[in-house]
Amino acid sequence: MASDLLSIAASGARAARGALDVTAQNIANAASDGYVRRSARMEEVSASGGLGRIGDISLSGVRIDGISRNADMFRQAEVRRTNSDATRAATELAGLQNIESAVEQAGIFSAIVEFEGALRQLESDPVDLSLRAAVVASAETMAGKFNIAAESLSSAVAGAQFQAGAAVDEANVIAAELARINVRLARAGAGSSDRASLLDQRDLMLERLSGITDTQTTFSADGAVTVRVGGSTGPLLVSGGTPAALSMTLAADGTPSFAVGGTAVSPGGGALAGHALALGQAVEIGAALDELAADIAALVNGSQAGGAALDGSAGQPLFTGSTAATLQTAFRDGRLLATAPAGSPAESRDASQLIGLRSALETGGLAERMNGIMFGISSRVAGHEITAEALDAIAASARISLEQQAGVDLDTEAANLIRYQQAFQASGRAMQVASDIFDTLIGIG
Amino acid sequence: MINLSTGAFFERATRQIGTLRERANRLQDQIGSGERLSRSSDDPVAAARLRTLARRERLAEVDQRNADRAMGDLQLTDKALESLAEITIRARELAMQAANETLGVEQRQMLRAEIDGLRESVLLVANSRNGAGQALFGGQAAGLAYEDTGAGITYVGTDTAESVGIGDGQSVTRSLTGPEVLTFDFEGTPTDVFAVLATLSAALQDPLADAASAGRLAMAQLDSGLDQVTTAQTIVGARMGWIEIIDERRLASGELVAEERSEIGGADLATTMTRLQEILTVLEASQASFVRLANLSLFNSLR
Repeated sequence: MASDLLSIAASGARAARGALDVTAQNIANAASDGYVRRSARMEEVSASGGLGRIGDISLSGVRIDGISRNADMFRQAEVRRTNSDATRAATELAGLQNIESAVEQAGIFSAIVEFEGALRQLESDPVDLSLRAAVVASAETMAGKFNIAAESLSSAVAGAQFQAGAAVDEANVIAAELARINVRLARAGAGSSDRASLLDQRDLMLERLSGITDTQTTFSADGAVTVRVGGSTGPLLVSGGTPAALSMTLAADGTPSFAVGGTAVSPGGGALAGHALALGQAVEIGAALDELAADIAALVNGSQAGGAALDGSAGQPLFTGSTAATLQTAFRDGRLLATAPAGSPAESRDASQLIGLRSALETGGLAERMNGIMFGISSRVAGHEITAEALDAIAASARISLEQQAGVDLDTEAANLIRYQQAFQASGRAMQVASDIFDTLIGIG
Repeated sequence: MINLSTGAFFERATRQIGTLRERANRLQDQIGSGERLSRSSDDPVAAARLRTLARRERLAEVDQRNADRAMGDLQLTDKALESLAEITIRARELAMQAANETLGVEQRQMLRAEIDGLRESVLLVANSRNGAGQALFGGQAAGLAYEDTGAGITYVGTDTAESVGIGDGQSVTRSLTGPEVLTFDFEGTPTDVFAVLATLSAALQDPLADAASAGRLAMAQLDSGLDQVTTAQTIVGARMGWIEIIDERRLASGELVAEERSEIGGADLATTMTRLQEILTVLEASQASFVRLANLSLFNSLR
């Protein structure tokens, strides 16, 4: 078989056109999420000479063998792993910051100090009605601040639960999508641009999934992915064309637990792990606040019970409720404060019960305990800020290193444009030559 | 080959400029508010210390108010004691006149009337009230300190005077009870100014009584009474001095607390401004270099 200059040139022009298309596609998708730079793989088309034609020149030009994706599996896996960690840390930090502002902005500490101050002020004149009213008012404020803290804490908890639920839904959508992609990958031809874009989608989905939970992935030869959740022995989330359902159940105290297809898993990374950790902390802080509220109520009520009100009657409890959310003052009449010891006559100026209460509040260190609770939260937030920052930097550098390898560099593409344009022009020139040769041959005759 | 992709270049630039902006913003916040911490988690230890200091400041305010109140009461007590001393001195003068044996009936009546008046004045002063309307010399009594029952003036207050906490675990008794001022021992038996004046008045009224010896007795008794009042004045003065010492201490520790607060929580303007300037310079430089690098595209050269 002889060569045909015209068809060789035509195949060259065709291949250059194809390569220009790929380059233009790269430029167009320079900013697309998850797009991996394509390159056209060229292959020479030639045939070995047949019987008796060993010495013949047998060339047929060039063709595009396939579109290759410049993705590095290892870097992609790194991006997923670090993204999982960074999202977990960022989610937990956001949750902790919500808890911090819920407790800090409620201003319980200053309310306790005000209450102490009001009691101390009342010591200067235990029968003064305005000072008594001030004590009751500051007790009411303090109870209100506990309520506010409990309420903001529970709304922070509800927010985190909602977000965790939304993340679970998203994970299920992604798992279904991955299963569909697996099926389509099995049908796509190797080296086709269809396959390349399916692989792009697959990697994008896997990355989004890694932001929700930590995953363990294995790839088959055709590119189909198997996803496990919760370590290498965890249950399968996606296997071939079948996704399993990820589900979340909330315990009575508000902490979530997760299961894949009925098998319990504990995600070690991603938003789900972050929410679970933050919710655990919120429960802990809520319990500490409840305990403090109960102790304050018990202390004040105990003192009331052992004393006599301004009219000489036995003291009634000042606080009802024994949790931060339910703490309330039982009366507003300052006269009912039992400042005098039990059995004192009406209008007694004996403030020993009051002094006892004030010093019990002080030696009990209730304000200090609140300070300690707030210190606990804020130091945790500060610690997690550092961790989150470090993990974020690691994730960013992993992403940048992937992008460097897999992303589109406009300068390279510009160079490619020129290269393939010149190749196209050169092929055109070759056609011109073929035409000239043909004309020459015609001219001879 | 290192292939610096366009996406990676922009991502890195965004991160760098974003981080710098955030830092500049935080410094700007610190300068604006004068506080180094905007949330507890900025520096948990400092924030916890600041809360403790704020509590101390708040309670010191209350202590100061209580101390001011005690001081006011003691000043009123001091004034009342001054009046009592004056009255006692005048009564002693009258007793001295009564001790003069050449008094006529009319003069005795006049002396008696004035002594009765003085006795009323002592009662009035002894029942004087403080700013809150409480009897100064009544201890913890809600009503009067002394009552005239007809059979004589008796103390109806309580045995102990109220004390009030003025901080640092210290407390001060803000007044004296009536007996501490007016009751004294005379030759082994307790008596009080009211009884002395009543006895003298009765002796002057009765023409048969020995007014001169009653006057001499009253003089001696009133001397002891005056001693009692001046002793009480000394006690009150010492207590006022004590409150002043505690006030000074509170002031000094308040200054220390304020200093510590600004040291822990305050943003040092000079340092913060310098750091802000530094970051702004870096930010400007990286913005400028970003713009120049971003303009370096091969496409600009393709014609």
